[in-house]
Amino acid sequence: RIMPVRWSRYNPSYLEPEVKKELYQKPLEELTEEEREQMEHKAVRPIKAAPPTLSSSVFSDPTISKFTNMMMKSGNKVLARSLMSQTLEAIKRKQLEKYHKAPENEKETIECNPYVIFHQALKNCQPIIGLSNITKGGKTYQVPVPLTDNRKRFLAMKWLITECRENKHRRTMMPEKLSQELLLAFNNEGPVIKRKHVLHKMAEANRAYAHFRWW
Amino acid sequence: QLERGCALHTAARDGLSPVPSQDVPAERPRAVFHTSESDPAKHTEQHEGRLYNIPLEEVKAVFPHGLPHRFQQQIQTFNEARVMVRKPALELLAYLKGSNLAHPAVRYVIYGERGTGKTMTLCHVVHYCSRQGWLVLHIPDAHLWVKNCKELFQSSYNKQRLDQPLQASVWLKNFKTSNERFLQEIKTQKKYMWGKRESTEEGRPLREVVEQGLARVRSASDAVGVVLREIKQQSHRGAFRLLVAVDGVNALWGQTTLRKEDKSPVSPEELTLVHNLRKMLRNDWSGGAIVTTLSQTGSLFKPSSAYTPQELLGKEGFDALDPFVPIPVPNYSPREFESCYGYYLERKWLQHEKAHTEDGKAELRFLSGSNPRQLDRLAGPL
Repeated sequence: RIMPVRWSRYNPSYLEPEVKKELYQKPLEELTEEEREQMEHKAVRPIKAAPPTLSSSVFSDPTISKFTNMMMKSGNKVLARSLMSQTLEAIKRKQLEKYHKAPENEKETIECNPYVIFHQALKNCQPIIGLSNITKGGKTYQVPVPLTDNRKRFLAMKWLITECRENKHRRTMMPEKLSQELLLAFNNEGPVIKRKHVLHKMAEANRAYAHFRWW
Repeated sequence: QLERGCALHTAARDGLSPVPSQDVPAERPRAVFHTSESDPAKHTEQHEGRLYNIPLEEVKAVFPHGLPHRFQQQIQTFNEARVMVRKPALELLAYLKGSNLAHPAVRYVIYGERGTGKTMTLCHVVHYCSRQGWLVLHIPDAHLWVKNCKELFQSSYNKQRLDQPLQASVWLKNFKTSNERFLQEIKTQKKYMWGKRESTEEGRPLREVVEQGLARVRSASDAVGVVLREIKQQSHRGAFRLLVAVDGVNALWGQTTLRKEDKSPVSPEELTLVHNLRKMLRNDWSGGAIVTTLSQTGSLFKPSSAYTPQELLGKEGFDALDPFVPIPVPNYSPREFESCYGYYLERKWLQHEKAHTEDGKAELRFLSGSNPRQLDRLAGPL
């Protein structure tokens, strides 16, 4: 893990907080040499303050936290988190209703876990290749460019959120619309998947400019 | 699927007494926290902490209104209605079974902190009484009558009072669904005039009064008043037993958020519905029981930490309801928590992988503090 060092105001002697319970519950004999050294360090060196997003709960998920942060407006994390939990519950209810009404042989194909659906839908929405504006000779060209993992994840989440905010009826609630979009994306349908395909087609059309990229 | 259902946690195993054979039928081994006894009259301490099933047709007939919203959603998702048998409900049922109907009606007040299961206890009692053939007067939430009223008319019967046609007609419709046969049998004892031309003669079945209230929405509140009065006067004869079940009874003695046209505040006794209901809650009639619930969640101008009868009812309400039998409803005991957790696992409500582990269960127990509502809200997204 690369720690942000350049703008950090902490003295370099400060250690990161360790939240995982399993490491503290291990008896002394099972620890390796490095871990024993680390434990001794913890007794002597000061430790940084834990950020509020760091949680020791078994149910915390970093992707879900990232998505909640992106949904948040003007710092209202309480509202964003409640919307997220209502979305997950809505997905679960819809899938469970379908599951209980389905005949026996189809029951295994229906996925009821909202987390699995969320992760799969995000993966289906991630573009493989992106476009970047490169200016050469006074003209700006849209050049196809490989994307990093972080950028892909960010684009998928951004598209989902903008889609749900803009293309819905005034009276529909966000959790309902989001659950709809996530279920569609899980089955590779829906407007977000279409947007991804449009981006891929643009990148394919602009293949000729690919050599403008210098990185 | 079967392994999860039959998993017996050590705490539950210690707490549960040896199960007689008819409770866990051999042909379909449902887990220990279910019981096949769906008649509340036969529930005893042995069934404590277990969930019993109410058939869906009965739910529609007995509870047209009155079940909490989250529970209704749960019924729709799981396709079944399972209610947990808990100690306060068993206590109330024992009192009702042993009550002498010749004596004046005893008042029971169910109180407790937020989300501990007061409304569900009331619903359990209502189910028992409707199975036994009592006439059930169930007001789902008295707070709905003292706030957010779009139409307030001056009552034609008494100039000082105010009518609420919408709330009255909604209640009459639900009352009709739950008590069809009683409306046919009970006859009016007086002639009632609705305005200048319409009237209901003496000796007509009560169903006509209800239909009159539904047809002429303006006189719906007066129809409600007539219904309550007739039922109260005839209950001591013994032809039927009456249960008055009111949820959120502290609304009747608090303040309202309604205002008259000259912007002066309305006090509860100026509303016809509230006035008639207060007359019903006095113990000057016999042949039944009055079971009420306090509720802070919908209450007006009361602090959120208030849950005792003294705080929520105020002096006026407490004096009006005094003497009553208080029934406290606590959070889940360890056994009840195991039962609820097992039920969610069996119905696949807890989908997160970590929720099936011991760590997940301990975390749920800690975060919810064994409070039923918090557990339900926490288990939603998981």
